[in-house]
Amino acid sequence: MLPTGVHSLTYADDARILRTSRARHWLAALVVALLAYPAFAGPYMLGVFTHLFITLMAVYGLYVTVGMAGQINVAQSAFVGVGAFATAKLSGYEIHFMLVIPLAALITGFVSIFFALPAARVKGFYLALTTLAAQVVFPIIILALPTEWLGGLVGMSVEPIRMGGLTLGAPIHFYYFTLVVVALLTVAAFNLKRSRFGRAMIAVRDNDVVAEVMGVPVFRTKVLAFFVGSLFAGVAGACTAYFLQFVTVASFTLFASVWYLGMLIVGGVHSPLGAILGVAFITFLQEGLHAFANTLMQSGASGGVLFALTSVALGGCILIALIFEPRGLAHRWSVARTTFQLWPFPRN
Amino acid sequence: MSQGADRQPVLEADALSLRFGAVHALRSVSIHVLEGQIHAVIGPNGAGKSSLLNCLSGFYRPQSGSVRFRGKDISILAPHHRAALGIGRTFQGIQTYPSMTARENILSGFHCRMATGILGALIYWGRVRSEEETFSERAEAIIDFLELEEQRHAVVGDLPYGLRKRVDLGRALALEPKVLVMDEPMAGMSTEEKGDLARFILDIREALGIPVVLVEHDMEVVMAISDRVTVVDFGEVIASGTPAEVSINPRVVAAYLGGNVA
Repeated sequence: MLPTGVHSLTYADDARILRTSRARHWLAALVVALLAYPAFAGPYMLGVFTHLFITLMAVYGLYVTVGMAGQINVAQSAFVGVGAFATAKLSGYEIHFMLVIPLAALITGFVSIFFALPAARVKGFYLALTTLAAQVVFPIIILALPTEWLGGLVGMSVEPIRMGGLTLGAPIHFYYFTLVVVALLTVAAFNLKRSRFGRAMIAVRDNDVVAEVMGVPVFRTKVLAFFVGSLFAGVAGACTAYFLQFVTVASFTLFASVWYLGMLIVGGVHSPLGAILGVAFITFLQEGLHAFANTLMQSGASGGVLFALTSVALGGCILIALIFEPRGLAHRWSVARTTFQLWPFPRN
Repeated sequence: MSQGADRQPVLEADALSLRFGAVHALRSVSIHVLEGQIHAVIGPNGAGKSSLLNCLSGFYRPQSGSVRFRGKDISILAPHHRAALGIGRTFQGIQTYPSMTARENILSGFHCRMATGILGALIYWGRVRSEEETFSERAEAIIDFLELEEQRHAVVGDLPYGLRKRVDLGRALALEPKVLVMDEPMAGMSTEEKGDLARFILDIREALGIPVVLVEHDMEVVMAISDRVTVVDFGEVIASGTPAEVSINPRVVAAYLGGNVA
């Protein structure tokens, strides 16, 4: 809900993503903080943030496929991998990175269409299983192809990005580069939600039988949800490739796919804000636990036990978050905001 | 209510037969919905009324017979193509999109009227913006017509039954239908809500000029608002005519009250 005194005078005003000037000020503050951050942070934290931005790109994609259209996808990491290998291959032909990234995204999108086809017939768990096939087949195909094509077991090196005289290599370069890309994808994710395709995808999720009779081509919309979700995955893959400067199948596992889904579910599947909150929550929790374990280790605790315990603690935190807010952190956030705006009157 | 002979048929079904295994849901059912009319389909439970509607909107494919829309055979068209041609549909029970607001539900009905491509949707540039504005304005006209102003930004899943049915109707009107197919719109409503909805249906015919096909159990409503009534029983049409004609038809009386017809 909106605070008292905020009214829309035009339909365009009504469709804005940030409705109040206060929200716009907060966003400006966040952007300034993110731009200024490298001045205060060391290379390790810049790496953590770069990784967070790339993860967020992939989770935005999952938000489109799973959150908006309700098509469960447990192969997002494989799609990120397709984008990464496409980038590695294309960068070898000395193509400009401004062209490589969209091409990698498109290639990933078209690959995903093949795995989206079962969505015409199956839903829910059954669809999850067919996407699992994509995740399983991905390394098999890469390894089966001739080594000259995609590197096989060894992997492929990636030509770095050159902008003018600058070659991207330092952590600070990647920090700014992925920050710009994730900012663009954030706008795209929010835009999609308020467009006719966003409504069509949500219609398919909410009631696919009715959507078809109401003029929404259901099958095409499901395929489109996979396609667009994989565009995001492809961009995430391209950034991963440029960041690591080397790609191997071992980086794109089912484990990562499940983490992407977990982050989206913890954050809330129904808004891009959920993707942001989920990725930030889990990344910082993980980093915090590791830092804490490191401190304990310096005071003499055994490393093996400690790092196993951080995983247990992480799992516990996720469980608690889900038990107290099954609809995700984004929902908790909107509840808190409503409560604040209505104070001192009770909500409802 | 005039029975002009010069009215053009909008939606016609000819000799539809639909079987589910051994069950004959429809046996050679024909119905002709004319321009400007409210056409009710009535019959006891299980008579095949909903099956007939589902054949009209393309959800079921009859084994034989044809469906024509403004003279054009649409028997093989998919439901979303029929919607794009202008066959609006409302549903039995609650079939709105619960997580969207009332206005988004209505806007979703415009999907097949809008032209934005997927790239445009992601970038949301000038032309996409102005298209959204144009259709928001049209959605507001529907909101105004159905008196949903208070609920425009309410999440539909939180609305009471009667209002959700009205949102369902609004979404069907967003298809800019040339004919509106309604499946038991009055079921489960209070007397006041029924009165409101009957008024909306009459307004849709009078003010918007959209003919309506209506499956309904409430005889009072059917007799009061329809121009023509088709009575179905055991998958067959047993009578068709004005409300006054069918209400004295002995086969109709027998179907409703039981008993043998000579």
